[in-house]
Amino acid sequence: MIRIPCPNCGPRNSSEFSYFGELGSRPAPDAVDPAHWRHYLYDKKNPAGWTTEKWYHASGCRKFFAIERNTLTNDVKSGRPFGVESSSEESS
Amino acid sequence: MVARSPIRARGPVGREHGWEVSTTARKGGLELCDLTPYSKVLVRAGVLSKAAEVLGCALGLARRAPDGTLVAGTGPGEWLLVSGAGTWPALADEIGGGDPTALTTVVDVTHGGFLIRLSGADSRRVLEKICAIDLSDGVTPDGAVFRSSVARIVCDVIRDDDGGVRSYLLHGDRSAGQYLFDAVLDAGSEFSIGISGYREKEA
Ligand SMILES: [Zn+2]
Repeated sequence: MIRIPCPNCGPRNSSEFSYFGELGSRPAPDAVDPAHWRHYLYDKKNPAGWTTEKWYHASGCRKFFAIERNTLTNDVKSGRPFGVESSSEESS
Repeated sequence: MVARSPIRARGPVGREHGWEVSTTARKGGLELCDLTPYSKVLVRAGVLSKAAEVLGCALGLARRAPDGTLVAGTGPGEWLLVSGAGTWPALADEIGGGDPTALTTVVDVTHGGFLIRLSGADSRRVLEKICAIDLSDGVTPDGAVFRSSVARIVCDVIRDDDGGVRSYLLHGDRSAGQYLFDAVLDAGSEFSIGISGYREKEA
């Protein structure tokens, strides 16, 4: 069981959530060429280690938020509401 | 015309406020009761809005309004108001007024959901079998509210003790009502759970 720290509800079983992939900044659709848009949609870093991800708490507050998760150990550092920046966050 | 709960009424059946309800006598001890006919109103508003101030209840907490309405902070900017069958909570009318520019929605979800009450000293042990939340008094005391998975069904859970007896209200989507009722009964069978008939709002 992975425990996900929801910023609204506290730690919950990961079965309450939906995973929405790596967090990246969305380019403005009218100011980007197709190659960049495709990169944003499909090219993931998929690191073996710490990554920042978007999750949705479907069985709780029904809000999106970001967490930092280690893909090797499944350790989770923090959960924060969407739009609140973290110092270690990278854009892709 | 008669309204029916998604949960089949057991035992003798009567009518209350246009709803078909079970008139089985109150069992006492560990009991499960279908209270779906109670009025249920969903409110959405900004957490810093005038409406939130009037509702007077933060996320994760419940309180009783002067007219007996149970106000529960079920989500960020989301509240559930529960009042007696056939009534409309006075608070629901008060919150719209203050600020005409604020987006506030008030929706009657009475017929869209189920509401059941699990009461008795062993209710914690029953709920613990089907819900992963810490139900100790330190984490979820009387008046605590949370939304989580109960027997794999998303429920608003309100700890609402009844005259000093531990009690939980469970609210969720109508289509899951019968399943969840049966799942709670199944979990409670080892503690001799029983079904009690419908009763009017106790407040
Ligand atoms: Zn949550």
